[in-house]
Amino acid sequence: MRADKTILVFRKDWREISRNWEVILPIVIVPLLFSILFPILVTMAPSLASMPESSLSNIKAMIRILPGPMKDDLIGMTNEQTIIYILAIYIFAPTFLIIPIMASSVIASDSFAGEKERKTIEALFATPISDSELFMGKIMVCFIPAMTITLTSFMVYSTIIDVLSFSVFGGKLLFPNLIWILLIFGLAPAVALGSIGLTVMISAKVRGFREAQQISAMLLIPIMILILGQASVATMLGPIVIGGLVCVFAIVDSVIFHFAMGTFRREEILEKIA
Amino acid sequence: MPTIEAEELTKRFGSLMAVDHISFEVVQGEVFGLLGPNGAGKTTTLRMLACLISPSGGSAKVGGYDIRQDSLKVRQILGVLTENQSLYERLTAYENMDFFAEAYGLSDEQQKRNRIKKLLEFFDLWGRRNNKVVTLSKGMKQKLAIARALVHDPPVLFLDEPTAGLDPESAKEIRDMIEELSQHEKCTILLCTHRLEDAERLCNRAMIINNGRSIIVGSPEELRNRIGSKSILEIRMRKLSQEIIETVKRLKQVREVNVDNSATGLIITLDDGESATPEVIRSIVHAGGMIFSVNALRPSLEEVYLKLIRGEKVES
Repeated sequence: MRADKTILVFRKDWREISRNWEVILPIVIVPLLFSILFPILVTMAPSLASMPESSLSNIKAMIRILPGPMKDDLIGMTNEQTIIYILAIYIFAPTFLIIPIMASSVIASDSFAGEKERKTIEALFATPISDSELFMGKIMVCFIPAMTITLTSFMVYSTIIDVLSFSVFGGKLLFPNLIWILLIFGLAPAVALGSIGLTVMISAKVRGFREAQQISAMLLIPIMILILGQASVATMLGPIVIGGLVCVFAIVDSVIFHFAMGTFRREEILEKIA
Repeated sequence: MPTIEAEELTKRFGSLMAVDHISFEVVQGEVFGLLGPNGAGKTTTLRMLACLISPSGGSAKVGGYDIRQDSLKVRQILGVLTENQSLYERLTAYENMDFFAEAYGLSDEQQKRNRIKKLLEFFDLWGRRNNKVVTLSKGMKQKLAIARALVHDPPVLFLDEPTAGLDPESAKEIRDMIEELSQHEKCTILLCTHRLEDAERLCNRAMIINNGRSIIVGSPEELRNRIGSKSILEIRMRKLSQEIIETVKRLKQVREVNVDNSATGLIITLDDGESATPEVIRSIVHAGGMIFSVNALRPSLEEVYLKLIRGEKVES
């Protein structure tokens, strides 16, 4: 496989995608909302907790059902600190997994199914670029922007949280911490790769960008379950759970990619646009 | 050695036989036409030879490379204008050319820039190089797609309906360019078209295909001869007399004689135009006829094509 050809495909696809507002808007706006809105909610939460009907009012009951090591982190914290800590570190953690899934599936839909829909793929397939170079170039154009957006969102989120909570925690910074490092550099790439692989498979079967995007949006369902579980304290993403999930995703990703590469056959793709 | 060799090339899509044991050869510098109605198998044949789809049977070589075993090498020496223009509409004309130049291995920046500039200037697109393709007219897009196919200066060119959707002036420019490439640059060209005007003017030889099968192969002249060996002469004179008509009718090789609408000309059907024409003219002059003009009327390629596609019998 020639790296220059892979990078060529990446550059061409990125040029195209970056000029398509249908792709750029969702992958910029949603992360922007998450990384700015969530820290504001986190810092407002303690004042909401003091309201009589608030679900955050019974913070002690919430702490009681937390797993042991997490409870240890909260020892000696005030109610205000505890609420901010739980929300900032645990509750919003899985929501950030939406970003790599959403970004990678939107880009992958455009890059694979979109190229088929716009009928540009025939001339591309006529070039002396091999299947593996094309495939890798297209995977890169989905993965790199998705991870750049995820990382940027995380940096914005953690910086705002650190700035807003700096005085509450007496100068102690909440970020970076092990959980979020594992989440952003371990679980998020694993989830993004799985999402790309699945979208490639879906794109091979459908005719257009929107169809591929709609079907791949279903990939968010398991993450939504994880978010609900986290919010209800039924599941908590600690370092061990994240490590386990990374291992599971690594296996799932390799299976998905094996099948995705199998679906990336010039002939089958061309038959769809014939 | 032929530049393109197809031997019993076959493509089956499920129960549909899209290309049915087609064989032909194209030599260097030749323009070879694949003619046929929509769905005849022209594009499928081109796609197999361009290594875009694999044949179900048979074999083929392009530039000496086997399409099954050396597909990357075949693609390297080929310029392909696909049925769809396949241009990236969000990229500029220059960016499209730049991407394909690099994809075909033009890595030297200066060489690449010069080649792109030469082609865009040739197609009168240099002034629009920084415009996104979406803003270009249909004719401009078609020219850009052809320029893209030529960006790596390929020795073999596959053109699928190159003048489709173009205005007469642009279509003429494209035809001139194809002629230039074939005659001066010795580029071997496979031309898929159902525009017989293009085939008549450009092709050294053509194959008419229908329902995936080859019906006939030959030069436009040979195709005309095979569809009808009878020749028709149109002779116009100052004055037509009964004596002239009777003289012509008495000639051995004359099958039929008719007077034209102006009543000063004859439409004469001959068995063999080449040998009978001088004798016919001599007889008319001898009978006192003063000839203004002699036209040999031959069936057009369009007539040949229509006759063959409708399944009428070809004279061998």
